[in-house]
Amino acid sequence: MRAQLVSTLLRARPAATRVAPAIARAASSHAHQETFESFTERYVNFFGQAQDLFEVQRGLNNCFAHDLVPAPSVIEAAVRAARRVNDYATAVRVFEGIKEKVENKQQYREYLDELKPVREELGINIKEELYQE
Amino acid sequence: MQALRLARPRALPRPFLARSIAAASPAHATAAAPVAPHLPPEPIIPLSNVEAQWERLSPDEQLAVHQQLEELQKKDWKTLSIDEKKAAYYVAFGPHGPRAPTHKPGDTVKLLLGTLAGIAVAGGVFAWFRSRAPPPPRSLTKEWEEASNELAREQKMNPISGISSEGYKGKGFVTHK
Repeated sequence: MRAQLVSTLLRARPAATRVAPAIARAASSHAHQETFESFTERYVNFFGQAQDLFEVQRGLNNCFAHDLVPAPSVIEAAVRAARRVNDYATAVRVFEGIKEKVENKQQYREYLDELKPVREELGINIKEELYQE
Repeated sequence: MQALRLARPRALPRPFLARSIAAASPAHATAAAPVAPHLPPEPIIPLSNVEAQWERLSPDEQLAVHQQLEELQKKDWKTLSIDEKKAAYYVAFGPHGPRAPTHKPGDTVKLLLGTLAGIAVAGGVFAWFRSRAPPPPRSLTKEWEEASNELAREQKMNPISGISSEGYKGKGFVTHK
């Protein structure tokens, strides 16, 4: 009888003393947007550390899957990663990917001009140069 | 060339295989890519023509080309010839296997002609059936329909809202223009 009373009293304690403290959480916590700069930095780091062809191509797939055109520094890192894993075709494919992502030919041209030193340093021809009509 | 390939048994020894391929395209045989000196002698599959040959190479030969290209790409890319670069790109990302285009170049014309032919046949069958059909019934002429109207008025058919009513504006039984 006594034990029952005690347990009833225990159960009847005010709830506030038992619950865990409320976790501070914004109403739109899922809407965390990565900035373009941090995106760029993340992928430059990723390609800087990629060790094999699979890793490089996986990174490229992820990187080009976003609704943005990767910055030239990302492209340079990717191309150098392709050089490190000795895959020429992937390096060519990166430029093909840019062509798909940019909005117009002018932007593609600007990317090519921006990356011309890297292309010449590594000896990469873009697909248009390989398959001239 | 097709006959050559068909006549070639699958289990030929490697050197003969390589020679038969080289013989199949003598124009390109001399343009074979230089292989790095430390490698064992590989079957000579000219890299300059890999795009044309790729589909017809056996898995073993494709593997050999793969390995050859793998070694090539380890070198400084500036020293690669344009043919070697094209071969490397084609083997990795060319339009073969899963990347083969769904339609070949002439397919659009074929589809268009086939569709038009189907429509023409259907139209022909329709016209043939119509030409052999009996004439429409005699009650479907304008005269018959006007006569029907007269008879209806004579008999005071539908006098409240219909053909015999006052100030009737409709056509009655006439369906012809």
